[in-house]
Amino acid sequence: MTSRDSALDLAEPTPVNWRRYAVIAGRIGLAILLILGWKFGAQVAGEVYVADPFLVFGRIVVDTLNGTLIHHTYVTLRLATIGFAIGCFFGVVFPFLLRRMPRLTAAIEPYIMASVGVPKYALVPLFILWFGIDDAPKLWLVGLLVFYPIFIAVFAGIRNVDRRLINMARVAGASEAAISREVIWNSLIPFFFAALKIALPRAVSATIIGEFLVGDAGLGFMIENSRQNFDTTGVFVGIVIATALVLVINAVLTLIDRRVNAWRPTERDMQL
Amino acid sequence: MATFEGREDRGAGFLGARLGPALKSYGDQLIVLLVLFAIWQALSMWLGTYWIGSPWGVAKRFTQDVLDGELLRHASLTLTEAIVGFVIGALPAAALPFLLRRQPIITAILDPFMVGGYGAPKLALAPLFILWFGIGIESKVALVAITVFFIVYFSALAGIRALDAKLVQMAQVVGANERDVARHIVFPGAVPYIFTGFRIAMPYSIGGAVIAELISSNRGLGYLIQLSAMNFDTIGVFVALVATALIVFIGNLTVNVVERWLLRWRPPSDVMLQAAT
Amino acid sequence: MAAQPLLEILGLGKRFATRAGRDPSPWVIQDLSFSVRDGEFLTIIGPSGSGKTTLLNMIAQIDTASGGEIRFQSQAAPISDPKSLNPGLSCKIGYVTQEDNLLPWRTTLQNVLFPLVVQGRLNDETRAHAQMLIRAVGLAGFEDHYPHELSGGMRKRASLIRTLVYDPPVILMDEPFGALDAQTRMQLQEDLLRLWNIGRKTIIFVTHDIAEAIALGDRTLVLTRAPARIAGEHTISIPRPREIRGIMTHPAFAELYQRIRAEVQ
Repeated sequence: MTSRDSALDLAEPTPVNWRRYAVIAGRIGLAILLILGWKFGAQVAGEVYVADPFLVFGRIVVDTLNGTLIHHTYVTLRLATIGFAIGCFFGVVFPFLLRRMPRLTAAIEPYIMASVGVPKYALVPLFILWFGIDDAPKLWLVGLLVFYPIFIAVFAGIRNVDRRLINMARVAGASEAAISREVIWNSLIPFFFAALKIALPRAVSATIIGEFLVGDAGLGFMIENSRQNFDTTGVFVGIVIATALVLVINAVLTLIDRRVNAWRPTERDMQL
Repeated sequence: MATFEGREDRGAGFLGARLGPALKSYGDQLIVLLVLFAIWQALSMWLGTYWIGSPWGVAKRFTQDVLDGELLRHASLTLTEAIVGFVIGALPAAALPFLLRRQPIITAILDPFMVGGYGAPKLALAPLFILWFGIGIESKVALVAITVFFIVYFSALAGIRALDAKLVQMAQVVGANERDVARHIVFPGAVPYIFTGFRIAMPYSIGGAVIAELISSNRGLGYLIQLSAMNFDTIGVFVALVATALIVFIGNLTVNVVERWLLRWRPPSDVMLQAAT
Repeated sequence: MAAQPLLEILGLGKRFATRAGRDPSPWVIQDLSFSVRDGEFLTIIGPSGSGKTTLLNMIAQIDTASGGEIRFQSQAAPISDPKSLNPGLSCKIGYVTQEDNLLPWRTTLQNVLFPLVVQGRLNDETRAHAQMLIRAVGLAGFEDHYPHELSGGMRKRASLIRTLVYDPPVILMDEPFGALDAQTRMQLQEDLLRLWNIGRKTIIFVTHDIAEAIALGDRTLVLTRAPARIAGEHTISIPRPREIRGIMTHPAFAELYQRIRAEVQ
């Protein structure tokens, strides 16, 4: 029996198709199961502990129509955006400033790294003490939480460029300013974007947690306030909206990431 | 005249060339440290202790609180919450990809839920957990556990996926069965990744415990921070903050030491396992 | 005592899975037939990319075949169905692969003992045997080193004795000395022959180096390029024990070399 006559000849049948459908079906099934579990949990645990899902979604509709939900969401997003802008600004500017002073950079680097170890949320009571009970302490919180990943990423991105920059400038010899602008920018984008994927959602969640501790509006305030009033449905509403918000931001960023950086070979499967 | 004098010179110069930059950089860092302390001291004198406790004041109070056991009591509670929560979250998270190793369909089904869980703000659940478990340690442990779970899950998943098929083949040829492969190949190969997950999750565990305590608690470092702040006791706030930072620092150190010992077989430059932050 | 050959390859063929929507992929190996006697040292020469590794993978039952048969001790091995593959044929076939495939998290000694551990044969006697092998290839003193602390040559040697330690009757070797410098290679060739002399196992040794094939083997097969089949078979008439360092001066060597060289095209 030679291989020419062999009936063992193969082109593997593609099992891919049925697998793909099984996965999709499984996901839908699991989602339904979770919602049913939620409903069941509400029955068993009672409305003080677990709000009924239908009541929660009903309340979401009501509160959207009467504007409270929109108001709180707006307050949170507004603060998150401002805080993000501040943190992002300094996070981008500082590395560029430090770039000119390598000795200073080397000297302060360990302290910057050490300061990462302090949980920034723990500083909120201090910020309240210093800056009052309005937006300021929350802006500081968000600003700091956004600053760190952006700063580290831009810093690493610039450092990554400088060596190549020297070689490129030597070879090309054209307007160094233009080249450096383009080379630095292109080298920075993946670092910056990776940090963005961390910082943007973080800005929103930090705002919400800040609102747990201080303030009188916003999604975080809504959640904590509901808790103190034993309004479990309100707590669930706030959590659902907050989670949905952050997940949407994540999804949008991932989508943009795929479009913008489609050509890049780098792959980061370790996310922070 | 290339004489012995010249050579001695070069010797000292060589040594100087090695030590010089290192000393200079440590010297620089020391200078910066002193400058930072000077600024701190100046600010506390200028603005007054309402706003900023002086470094000396903080150090004095810190020692006081440690000696009378007060600080240690709160710190150990926070630490307990962090550790217990970490263990409860990390163990299932590390085990799950392992157990599902041969069920890629289940892993695929779970994936969007895991990604969602990872991306969702777990800390926003703090009030819910306080509602459920009260203001005791259970709510903090739950919060830490759920935060740590998703982080470690993805690290462990990456570790399982990084399996070298050639090593598995080698093992099979010498007679390993499925259990042997899992025990001798899959698991040791995944450990570096799992440890990276531990390293990333550790500060989140301490931070999570503190934050939950900030919101509602009657013990712990977060409680201490909140209490001091409400009493306008800035020095007390600083003391608690320093204690928190110290715990994180020690936590980092511990993870690093354990990792270095556990992974002493690793070649020096394992680029893919350097966490970004 | 012309016994049944230990291993028979009959009309073996291999082509990789055809991708959907493309032309059927070419045969890597087609209609390959040869046999191996018990205790024989068979070398196989082929240019790079001629499917040598694929052939060994099939014999070791790591890979399926697309056609033909493999018989071990007169029994057909199940090579068509991925699920029924029995890698290593229950530890009867050892395989020294091209990459050393040492487990990075085990020391040299632990790596060498690994097959014994999974086979449940670890005891004082086998441990002593492992130690002897470690000394035999010059790795004494490096038992507690991790693979990343060893040189490429040392890792190769460790992977070699890892297969030898559990004494499989048949050993496949895939260009084991290819990436080493000439000195180390010659040393290891001598070590291999010396160890082989003690046990007289059946060895199938694949290489692209004609001189090595002649120096080591009782018999040499020459493979063509893809689709690979036997281009020639040569019995090496140089008597044993052989002197590796002076092998090229042996009268039969030059003629064999020329003949084989002509076939390797």
